[in-house]
Amino acid sequence: MKKKYLFVFVMLLVVTFAGMGLTSLYVQRTGGQEKEEKISIVTSFYPMYIAALNVVGDTDTVKLTNLSEPQTGCLHDFQLTPEDMKLLSTADVFVINGGGIEAFMEEVAASYPSLQIVEACEGIALLQEEDEENAHAWMSVADYEKQVENIAKGLAEADPAHEKQYQSNAKDYCGRLEDLKERQQAVFAAARGQNVILFHEAYAYVAEDYGLSVSYVMDLDEERQVSAGEVSEVLSAVKKDHVKYILAEKRYGKSMGDTIEKESDARVIYLDPLNRGDYEKDSYLDGMSENIRLLEQDFGA
Amino acid sequence: MINWTSWLDYGFMRSALLAILIITPLFGLLGTMIVNKKMAYFSDALGHSALTGIAVGVVFGVSDTNLSMVIFAVIFALLLNWIGSKSTASTDTIISVFSSCSVAIGLAILSRGGNFSKYSGLLVGDVLSITNREIIYLLVIFAVTILFWLVCFNWLNAICIHRALAKSKRIPVRLMDNIFAVLVALIVMLSIKWVGILIINALLILPAASSRNISVNMREYHLFSVIFSLFSGVLGLILSYYTNVATGPMIVIIASVIYFCTYIFGRRCKN
Repeated sequence: MKKKYLFVFVMLLVVTFAGMGLTSLYVQRTGGQEKEEKISIVTSFYPMYIAALNVVGDTDTVKLTNLSEPQTGCLHDFQLTPEDMKLLSTADVFVINGGGIEAFMEEVAASYPSLQIVEACEGIALLQEEDEENAHAWMSVADYEKQVENIAKGLAEADPAHEKQYQSNAKDYCGRLEDLKERQQAVFAAARGQNVILFHEAYAYVAEDYGLSVSYVMDLDEERQVSAGEVSEVLSAVKKDHVKYILAEKRYGKSMGDTIEKESDARVIYLDPLNRGDYEKDSYLDGMSENIRLLEQDFGA
Repeated sequence: MINWTSWLDYGFMRSALLAILIITPLFGLLGTMIVNKKMAYFSDALGHSALTGIAVGVVFGVSDTNLSMVIFAVIFALLLNWIGSKSTASTDTIISVFSSCSVAIGLAILSRGGNFSKYSGLLVGDVLSITNREIIYLLVIFAVTILFWLVCFNWLNAICIHRALAKSKRIPVRLMDNIFAVLVALIVMLSIKWVGILIINALLILPAASSRNISVNMREYHLFSVIFSLFSGVLGLILSYYTNVATGPMIVIIASVIYFCTYIFGRRCKN
């Protein structure tokens, strides 16, 4: 009898200490090296992080962190964890894409009224999609350029001491984006007016950049099941509008793309939606340049 | 070194702690009877019906999906009880049929237009969803459950031990069954948003099952079950905060560890 109560007591004690011990080990291994920084900038997800990284450059009084993992992709189904709330509570500036991609913003704004929020899509005419806004604006080089400028402006307001640095970094970066835009012109001239089908809503911005006309959009995203009816809808759209090219993302659109290529004459071009990748400064430029190359190849520019 | 009290600085963690302090004893309490009555599968089905409840709320444009979830779950629980008593098929078959059917309806409605990802948070739970209003609901259900337990526990226990005998003693068997099912439905629905559909049942079953491993009478059974439930809840919340893991799963992991410990201890004692 007594033995049992002793056992329960000891067991709970052991579980507590084992849990706490493992937790401290984990915490020490993952992030013990936090230092005092002057200003902490948090970005919501990958494209924003890369843009902010280029704007911040080598300004060493800034700590730049990304809220989500580099492989998270778009934040449509993102859940804030307590750790995320903690990170935001220590942040000075929160750089978001806006346009509804960060669905949790209401919660954040209510919890941290003093957090400065920089919305990269501000002032950009977002494409409309039925009743929702399509906020994947970074897929258009021109819009991405505006986003970079918005971020630079926002950061300069939050940290006036480094305004010059931010502005000149943004200018350099935009200069490199201009090179991409020049290459886009040739594709634009060759591709303009052609009908395409999109397998990712972000590619509406690609279509916009090259003057393509979109005959059908099917958003193949995470956790999306395609019904047989939709496949036939795509096929009949291909036939009706004489669609030659389909823009898709390899990760989610490959099986669908294979089916369509088998069943029709349309060709599927797999573009990178640039919403995940590594934390390299130039990864947006490299990814976009590869996208342009693929389009050049197929549209024969 | 980690500052083990820093989690209390945040309002959402304090509300979560409060919710856990109210709800986990209830899980422990109701769990004892669920395990005794072999209703583990029943409560699991109830948890899954939350999806349908939300879907129904979405279809009818109810702004507070809590409401549609609770109403649907109560109807679902009563329906299960009723069919279970009428039909000749075994209970687990009936529950399975109803559960799959309701999950399918829920998934079908919620995945319309490929939008299911919006609701996938429900599957693992989100500790930030605990608001003051939810805590008030929880307090009410806490009071109701305790009252019910004090008044009716002996009847429930009698029914559980020998149904026909209980009936002959003029115990309202059907009514007790229904009230119990409704209570389980209410508690499951009010905590599902932060625990998550996939694991809510574990919270009901594990503390009671662990307790059953080592107890010899009803009093011990209840006592240990409530202690285990509270303990895993609080420790799980704290550890999830420091390790950046969803809270529901963390609580269940701790409850499972306790289960295995008691299982080994219980077998040793018997031998």
